[in-house]
Amino acid sequence: MNEKNKDIFSRIESYYTDYGQRAKELKNEGIKIIGYMCSLIPLEIITAAGCVPFRMRGDVHEPITKGDINLETIACPFYRSCFDLSVKGKYDFLDGSIVAHGCDSMARTYAVWKYTLDLPYSHFVNLPHTISESSREFFRAGLNTFRKSLGKFAGKEISDDDLAEAIGLYNENRDKVRALYELRKPDPPIVSGTEITKILTVGASLPVAEANKLFDEVLEELRQRKESPFKKVRRIMIDGACMDNIELVKLIEDLGGNVVVDTLCNGTRDNLPHTDTGNDPLSALADRYLDKINCPRTYRENKEQDLQKELESRFGDIGFFARESKADAAILYVYKYCDPFGFEVPVRKAYFESIKLPLLYLEDEYSAGTIGQLKTRIQAFLEMIQ
Amino acid sequence: MRLWRFKGLSMTYFAGIDIGSLTTEVVILDSNADMLSYSINLTGADCNEAVDQALGQALSRAGLSRDQLSFIVATGYGRVTIPFSDKKITEISCHGTSAHHLFPDTETVIDIGGQDSKVIRIDKEGKVLDFTMNDKCAAGTGRFLEVMAGAFRVSLEDFGQLSLKAEREIPISSVCTVFAESEVISLIAQNQAREDIIRGLHSSVVNRIWNMVQTVGVHGAVTMSGGVAKNRGVVVLMEEKLGKPIHIHTEPQIMGALGAALLAKRHFLQEK
Repeated sequence: MNEKNKDIFSRIESYYTDYGQRAKELKNEGIKIIGYMCSLIPLEIITAAGCVPFRMRGDVHEPITKGDINLETIACPFYRSCFDLSVKGKYDFLDGSIVAHGCDSMARTYAVWKYTLDLPYSHFVNLPHTISESSREFFRAGLNTFRKSLGKFAGKEISDDDLAEAIGLYNENRDKVRALYELRKPDPPIVSGTEITKILTVGASLPVAEANKLFDEVLEELRQRKESPFKKVRRIMIDGACMDNIELVKLIEDLGGNVVVDTLCNGTRDNLPHTDTGNDPLSALADRYLDKINCPRTYRENKEQDLQKELESRFGDIGFFARESKADAAILYVYKYCDPFGFEVPVRKAYFESIKLPLLYLEDEYSAGTIGQLKTRIQAFLEMIQ
Repeated sequence: MRLWRFKGLSMTYFAGIDIGSLTTEVVILDSNADMLSYSINLTGADCNEAVDQALGQALSRAGLSRDQLSFIVATGYGRVTIPFSDKKITEISCHGTSAHHLFPDTETVIDIGGQDSKVIRIDKEGKVLDFTMNDKCAAGTGRFLEVMAGAFRVSLEDFGQLSLKAEREIPISSVCTVFAESEVISLIAQNQAREDIIRGLHSSVVNRIWNMVQTVGVHGAVTMSGGVAKNRGVVVLMEEKLGKPIHIHTEPQIMGALGAALLAKRHFLQEK
């Protein structure tokens, strides 16, 4: 490892442990930082406004205390943790926050968020739940409202060219994420799941151009690993919502499995789809966030009236990534009270069964306190698939 | 270095240690997989002390010393704390292994321990095919029954027998141990027959486990392990649900340790 690249990994570690340090620096330079928590927020619009989108994280090691005063415990523990940290001042550098109609926890507590934190800017992105011509039209109009509102706050009229430029930067970012995943394909993989989780988590806290540069440097360093530093063991896929901390992935890898692919919000599912270029950028963004991201919060009508075909049309991406990465087994990891994923557990299980991929389903709280419980389940699962 | 291993001087011996939330069990086997001895001790607050005590007891009963053990497998939630074990294997694989060893027609194992309960599906070779565990609370575990027996001031042994004497069953609506205890106290205050309440409590545990059984599915013969398998009240109700008898070893509490000892033997032979 040369000195320059050694520096990259320690920078990633530092950005990961002191999350938000770069955003604070940028804030001091007068740049507006806009927080968000869900992959359904069109970051391209925030970047085009000259602001920096910042993905808020929870902290599995921090007990939720103050947040519960204002946010009901019926909300999912990840969301509660993000809120708790915000109330405790962890994200005081934010100039605004944007909430999408992702899950019920988000939609129904937008006002709590808005009035408790009282940030200078807040906006609710009203994403339709069905895919049709009218919902596309509705969503495009909603995105236009968002563009105007954020532009007004940022003191900049966001042009189509600004949007096109931001779309280009994000598409580039998605290609780099794809390249990182390519390094997980060899057996054993060149890069561990723990490393990838850190890299992607850190990337979401930086301006996209900086994240692109960081990913390039990381890729350059990783490509110098001629031999994998890892053992050849069972290859595990993770399916579920977002994973912004390394605990679960590290636990699996410590117990002797290689995490080689995922279908997570901040992994392949929501990171990889490109935004179309060349035509109306707002329509292209509406199309990406409404249709191309295969999140269970969006209802997709089954026209086939056949369970097997429905499973394939809804979850075909899971099978695609599992095959592509030669996963031996999968873990479906769902937070308690997660409405989009929670309701889908039986049908997701049925899909995994249909593609004959052994599955471990874990329902968890967003807390490091459950590690011991998870350890027995994961170790037993790894023993089972030996 | 246990030199005698390589000299082929004598029998080889294997130990399985199961450190559970309530008790720690040790089983010692010889190379024919015959059980030489076992011990059951309370785990208490110090896992290492409990292991030393339980292992010391089992060794002295077998007339062996620790350095005569060729391979030690640790299991149970405290498996990580034992520094001298050769391998750490989950209790899920261990219960599957011992159930298959004792009752070869077993395809479903129901293990109800002090802190958690599991339903394990195994194939005809004893390999785990699927499993489910209760979530973190004490509902559907030995701890639930222990707390309830405490509310009635009766021993755990009598508790199961009292359930069998019930004329009717008073359903307990709370699954939470703490809430169920207050429910029981108010039923006692209403002068309800204690046998009927106790039967309701046993049903509550069985219903909870039954949901887990259905998740994994009932296949072939069913074996029960763990301390709660000693409770006739639970076993009878579970057999009613299943519509068939359940295999139970004379000492179901040592099934985890027995499985660990069997796996110790298997791994020793593989590594040799």
